[in-house]
Amino acid sequence: MAAPTVEQAAQPAEKTAAQADVVIETRNLSKTYRDFWGRQKVRALKALDLEVRRGEIFGLLGPNGSGKTTTIKLLLGLLFPSSGQAYVFGEEAASVKKNEKIGYLPEESYLYKFLNAEETLDFYGRLFDMPAKVRKERAESLINMVGLQWARRRQLREYSKGMTRRIGLAQALINDPNLLLLDEPTSGLDPIGTREMKDLILRLRDEGKTILVCSHLLPDVQDVCDRIAILHQGELKELGRVSDLLRVEDVTQIRARGLSDEVKEEIRNLIQQHGGVVEGIENPTATLEQLFLEIVKDSEARPGRRAPAPAEK
Amino acid sequence: MVIEHDILTFFEWLLPGAGGMGALLTFFLAVALLSVFLTLLAYLFTSVRHGPFEAFYVVAKSIATGVSDVANTSPRRVLALARLAVTEAVRRKVLIAFVVFLLILLFAGWFLDVRSDHPGRLYISFVLTATNYLVLLLALFLAAFSLPNDIKNRTIYTVVTKPVRGTEIILGRVLGFATVGTALLAMMCLVSYLFVVRGLDHGHAAIAETVEEMTDRNSQPIGVRGETTLNSHHRHTFEVDADGYGRTDAQMGHWHEVLAVAGPDGATQYEVGPPQGQLLARVPIYSRGPQPLRFRDRSGQPAEKGISVGDFWTYRDYIEGGSQARAVWTFQDITAEQFPAGLPVEMTLGIFRTHKGDIEQIVRGELEVVNPETEVRSEPISFRPTEFEIFHLDVPRDIRVVDPATQVSRDGDLFEDLVAEDGSTEIWVRCADPGQYYGMSRADLYLLAAERPFFLNFVKGYVSIWLQMVVVICFGVMFSAFLSGAVAMMATLATIVMGFFSGFIVGVFRGVLDPNAPVTEKVLGGGPIESFYRLITQKNVSLELDPSIGAVVIQTIDKGLVILMRTVVMIIPDFGRLGTANYVAYGFNIDGDLLAQHGAVALAYAVTVSLASYFFFKSREIAA
Repeated sequence: MAAPTVEQAAQPAEKTAAQADVVIETRNLSKTYRDFWGRQKVRALKALDLEVRRGEIFGLLGPNGSGKTTTIKLLLGLLFPSSGQAYVFGEEAASVKKNEKIGYLPEESYLYKFLNAEETLDFYGRLFDMPAKVRKERAESLINMVGLQWARRRQLREYSKGMTRRIGLAQALINDPNLLLLDEPTSGLDPIGTREMKDLILRLRDEGKTILVCSHLLPDVQDVCDRIAILHQGELKELGRVSDLLRVEDVTQIRARGLSDEVKEEIRNLIQQHGGVVEGIENPTATLEQLFLEIVKDSEARPGRRAPAPAEK
Repeated sequence: MVIEHDILTFFEWLLPGAGGMGALLTFFLAVALLSVFLTLLAYLFTSVRHGPFEAFYVVAKSIATGVSDVANTSPRRVLALARLAVTEAVRRKVLIAFVVFLLILLFAGWFLDVRSDHPGRLYISFVLTATNYLVLLLALFLAAFSLPNDIKNRTIYTVVTKPVRGTEIILGRVLGFATVGTALLAMMCLVSYLFVVRGLDHGHAAIAETVEEMTDRNSQPIGVRGETTLNSHHRHTFEVDADGYGRTDAQMGHWHEVLAVAGPDGATQYEVGPPQGQLLARVPIYSRGPQPLRFRDRSGQPAEKGISVGDFWTYRDYIEGGSQARAVWTFQDITAEQFPAGLPVEMTLGIFRTHKGDIEQIVRGELEVVNPETEVRSEPISFRPTEFEIFHLDVPRDIRVVDPATQVSRDGDLFEDLVAEDGSTEIWVRCADPGQYYGMSRADLYLLAAERPFFLNFVKGYVSIWLQMVVVICFGVMFSAFLSGAVAMMATLATIVMGFFSGFIVGVFRGVLDPNAPVTEKVLGGGPIESFYRLITQKNVSLELDPSIGAVVIQTIDKGLVILMRTVVMIIPDFGRLGTANYVAYGFNIDGDLLAQHGAVALAYAVTVSLASYFFFKSREIAA
């Protein structure tokens, strides 16, 4: 079984420590879609150079049709590059061996609708050549983790979108992967599901996994990603740490509690004295997400009555 | 039913020998040629995309990956994918096919001719044919749509991003669908066996009023003769000997045993047993040697052939009745151990009448067993063959023989006097009625070596269907690896149809390109375009086209097309040859060697086609 394969032979022989930390690497990666006659239709990706390092959450952002999903498919070997190379764990994207350490959650969970949750996880476990006992344990803990204990015996055709997403995530984690590729992980999830998904992503990162998230839901990405790349029309427009990219250098934000109107006026004057420009002093609003989460939390604590909005309390 | 081709033993067939280079070598040669051709084709395509140098690297690498993938194929993953295919088929209600089959059987009675001369043959070939088409159709749909559906629904994304090899995806599918098909076939086999046995079962009663005494020349009673009741659209006459044992005549391909028993009031009653002789699996031994069947002309001189009675299709040679003309079959390796009781001879003779008289009148014949070394011959045994039916004749062990030198007859032993040292013997057949002719071919007369259980033979017939099914599944999976579902289905269907009509296509090829081929071995009317032209202009196939530029163009294109068709037919499986329904229907045992050969052919196709599927699948962009 473990005979040296061609893919292994094709690996670069020497590896520096820095290279070993690079999980995903693309060099000049391009993809042009062609029609049946070989005529060019769309240039979906233009010369992408990207490095994703071990243990980070990397966000791939961009509007619809910007090449995010194409990039993921190229990394998985679902598409063949028109030119350039993609390496995952130092192996070519087309190699099968890299899949041992990868988990992939597709855009929509493309799962067999005629299987139930247990059968689904058992099937994917078998694809990793796991022995029966390991499969069973793994399936059990994943079903508990994504909260589908109550629907484990139901065929996936009866699942709601959110449930499908959860079982999709469970199948991506069946092999305890080192690298997770998540395509729109929060799409179709309610705010609670979204929060849980984001918490889970962070937890997985803390366990030392590398995660590539691709999304157009910016708040989601902002909350979790360490670094992001922004794609537009197949070209890389921006790349860097989220904190660096979003820092506004010449604006200072002050947050305080318990200030009277007089004090606020005093601060305003003080700023103006020093030549600063006051852009606004106001009470912050909570995000709708926060509001929603609090209502649900309250409702779960005291079921049966309309929960007062947090502001009224 | 005639077995046209000699059945070689499995190893004679497989390995190089006198008959040619053997199946194994042919297979490897074909595979080698095809691989070289396909690799070149792949290289050409890749060079268009990547340029000639890069293409060389790409092709070499994909072959290397292929080798590694085959080597790393994991049984657990294959089984997981096979299980998935089975679950999918079952949950998509593939069992409906079985219900359809039951419905067909339920209403079959409306369509089957109840007055057929051979209801046994009719029933058996009906169930086998119905199952065959139904199962192939099912295999076609299952195999051709599954992979394209997986790609269309993108469920394949979650599979190929696991450490799954292309080989496993292909093998898993083939295995899964073969499992589903096997289960269905097994059920169909059982149900159709019951259908045949129950459908053919019937009984008669003896009609007491028709029973009359038979006496010999000395007016001594030798038994009784009578008629049975009319059941299942026929009645029999029967004869019972003085010991109370007898049988009916053969009607509709069967007969019954009749026993005389004492009735409650002391009178003799006649009990008619169940039908016999219609569900058989005979094991024939055919004549062999350099001249398995030879002829003597009317003056007794060796002749190249018999007489042609003017049939277009001269399958049988005829010998003239009431003359010295004879047909001689040579048998080899005949031993007393194999036939302790004597030689059971069975024959189906063609009879050609030059004067009518009573058309029901049987044309009598004589048979002699001759030792080819010593030329000692048996006294002629006269027989009255049943026409269009297999006629059975036992040559007893103790037999009167005639020495060639003295022409004196004496008591002899079949094996001591009439079988040569090397185990060869000859059977000479003569037509006794002047003016009438017997027609014979080599397979018309054989020795009945054994009778095997019919059920086993029936199962073997289903094994043949199973082999065809596996081959169809492999082709379906192959086409679906790079085509969309509907197109893959059409391509598989085309393969099946061309496979079944491969003989016809070879005939068309010879008709177009080999003007000297015998008329029985070619199809007139030209290639596809010429035939279509003849069809719309209503031109007779035996007329040459008027010489014109149009005709030349049509015929030139046709030549190219028939060469292409011939090449394709050489590659795809000859489904007609794989079918053994006729053996079962006509009551001949399907030879184990034959089945083994078919199995080897199917396996060869399964392996090569699956391998091709793998490369097709691997070279396709799944998400494109």
